[in-house]
Amino acid sequence: MTEISQALPSGSAMPRTKTLSEAVFAWLLIGPAMLFIAVIVAWPLAETIRLSFMDAGLGGEEYVGLANYQELVESRKFHQTIIRTFYWMFLSVALKLVLGLIGATLLNAAVPGRGLFRVLVMPPWIIPMAIGMFGWLWLYNGYFGILSGTLMTLGITDGPFEFLAYKQSAFYSAVVADVWVGTPMVTLFFLAAMQGVSRDLYEAAWVDGAGRWYRFRRITIPQIMPVIVSMSLLSAIFTFNSFEIIWILTEGGPRGATTTLIVDTYKTAISNFKFGEGSARAVIIVILLGIFALLYLNVLKFVNRKYGTK
Amino acid sequence: MATLELMSISKSFGSAKVLHDISLAIRDKEFVVFVGPSGCGKSTLLRIIAGLEEATSGQIMIGGEDVSTAHPVDRGISMVFQSYALYPHLSVYENIAFPLRVQKMEKAELDTRVQQAASILQLTDKLQLKPGQLSGGQRQRVAIGRSIVRNPKVFLFDEPLSNLDAALRGDMRVELSQLHRSLDATMVYVTHDQVEAMTMADRIVVLNGGHVEQFGTPMELYHHPRTKFVASFIGQPNMNLIPATVSAADATGVKVTLTGGHEMVLPVEGGRVAKGDKVEVGIRPEHVQIGDGGFPISVNVLERLGGVSITYGTLGDGVRFCASLPGDAAVEEGQPLALTVSPEDCHVFDASGDVLRRMSAPAIAANG
Repeated sequence: MTEISQALPSGSAMPRTKTLSEAVFAWLLIGPAMLFIAVIVAWPLAETIRLSFMDAGLGGEEYVGLANYQELVESRKFHQTIIRTFYWMFLSVALKLVLGLIGATLLNAAVPGRGLFRVLVMPPWIIPMAIGMFGWLWLYNGYFGILSGTLMTLGITDGPFEFLAYKQSAFYSAVVADVWVGTPMVTLFFLAAMQGVSRDLYEAAWVDGAGRWYRFRRITIPQIMPVIVSMSLLSAIFTFNSFEIIWILTEGGPRGATTTLIVDTYKTAISNFKFGEGSARAVIIVILLGIFALLYLNVLKFVNRKYGTK
Repeated sequence: MATLELMSISKSFGSAKVLHDISLAIRDKEFVVFVGPSGCGKSTLLRIIAGLEEATSGQIMIGGEDVSTAHPVDRGISMVFQSYALYPHLSVYENIAFPLRVQKMEKAELDTRVQQAASILQLTDKLQLKPGQLSGGQRQRVAIGRSIVRNPKVFLFDEPLSNLDAALRGDMRVELSQLHRSLDATMVYVTHDQVEAMTMADRIVVLNGGHVEQFGTPMELYHHPRTKFVASFIGQPNMNLIPATVSAADATGVKVTLTGGHEMVLPVEGGRVAKGDKVEVGIRPEHVQIGDGGFPISVNVLERLGGVSITYGTLGDGVRFCASLPGDAAVEEGQPLALTVSPEDCHVFDASGDVLRRMSAPAIAANG
């Protein structure tokens, strides 16, 4: 290096120009993305935070400080909504993971026609959410739905049963519909991960006398564990924020039984025009999900240490 | 430890027949290498022995017991895979212990066996590491460790060195040979590398197109190849095959005219050929010398390796010829060169590729 700089004392202008143009070029490349993020993420976020300190409605805005937050902290109903949301999330994600794991294992098995089965898994994911949910509305309908009809035919109920009309059944019916939508993606990710596991590992274990369950437990699960963990984080966020499913099926009812945080926020801000209170809820969602994601990243680190290759 | 007998093993995948009626008897404590080009069926044969594939027909006996339909674990075999097949999420210790954990072996005994295997393979200070932190050679040793702990009757190796670089391959060859001696075990080893076969095997099975071409000691294969295929597969550089025409033949010898016109009388059993038959004369590159009265070649490429000079040229009407000459041989590219070979060192193959047996060969060929 010394030799070069001695040999080219006046050449320093060249690299300098090059560096400048590289910087300009880099800004040109990331500029559009930055602008995009600023307009659709940063500005709305900032605006939401600002509104959360306001008593804002159709009539105008008035600064109220932390009043919106204070109201939420003191509200028993809001506490119940938080608990319900986490219950909704954990139940739905757990079911999706278990069903996804079972589904992926079956689809990964060497059965004839598995290509067809793999395609058949996709529809819940591909069908537009609203159309799928209207299908579920029919299924859950007490008078025309096949579920109620079947229950009556089997003599389990002696009259029409409206699944979405009662607090308990509406909540679990919504969970079932959410699981129906969310399972295919989980299944396909797990399947892809399983297909990435070397066949030799299974053959080696088979030669050593390991049975099916043992191989699943000691090879498949640890090998796909990082995918299981990251998939459960993704799925948890999707489920936490799942809106259309609940809104189309129950609009958060009956009597708030299916109102999760996201539904509550929508109802407050958009249905009741309380933009300030709605924004405070939205900010709380961001904080809760942020904490949750941080916890999860630590779990992921731990998993990678335990099941990773190093 | 045990004998391994294959009786009329055949294997088809759909309509493609990959193994044709293979019968072999492998002795107790013998190191046998299956060698052959890609697609010759050597790995399939090994997988059939392991129980990973089912033979279409035939029988497998290990230690005198018919294991043709037995589960791999009941055959008393263990296998080392080309990819090592180590469990990346488990430590070296757990990898080696895996087969014993499957057997639900008692903890103390398991630990003793793992430590023992680790000390044989010099892995004692690596037991807590994961496979990803090891070098290729160390990974290979872990894979071998996993096969040792089960005390199998027969060890099976599927191209275990092919992922290693050349220098490490040489070291591992020596280690495997030592391991064979110290374990005193029956081993079956698959490779496409004839050097591995020659250096490690007690006996070699040369496979070609799903058939056994020859089964014998390395020196037997080298000095008495039964077919043209074996002759050209064993030996480095490959044997030269020169088209020739028989001008006279009897039980004690054959007189041939090589392409290019040079005449030779070769001491082989010539009963099977007659005047006018087309044959091929096999001459190993290391058996030729520079000298007058031989056949001329024109030198195209010269590779000076120090100890030897590998000389590539053409003979007569364009037949390629390779000679392994002394390192300081007076040879130049583009120059003609006269080579001689002792008739006793020549092999003769008839039109179907079968050898006419040589009347004399070094004694080492007979007793391996």
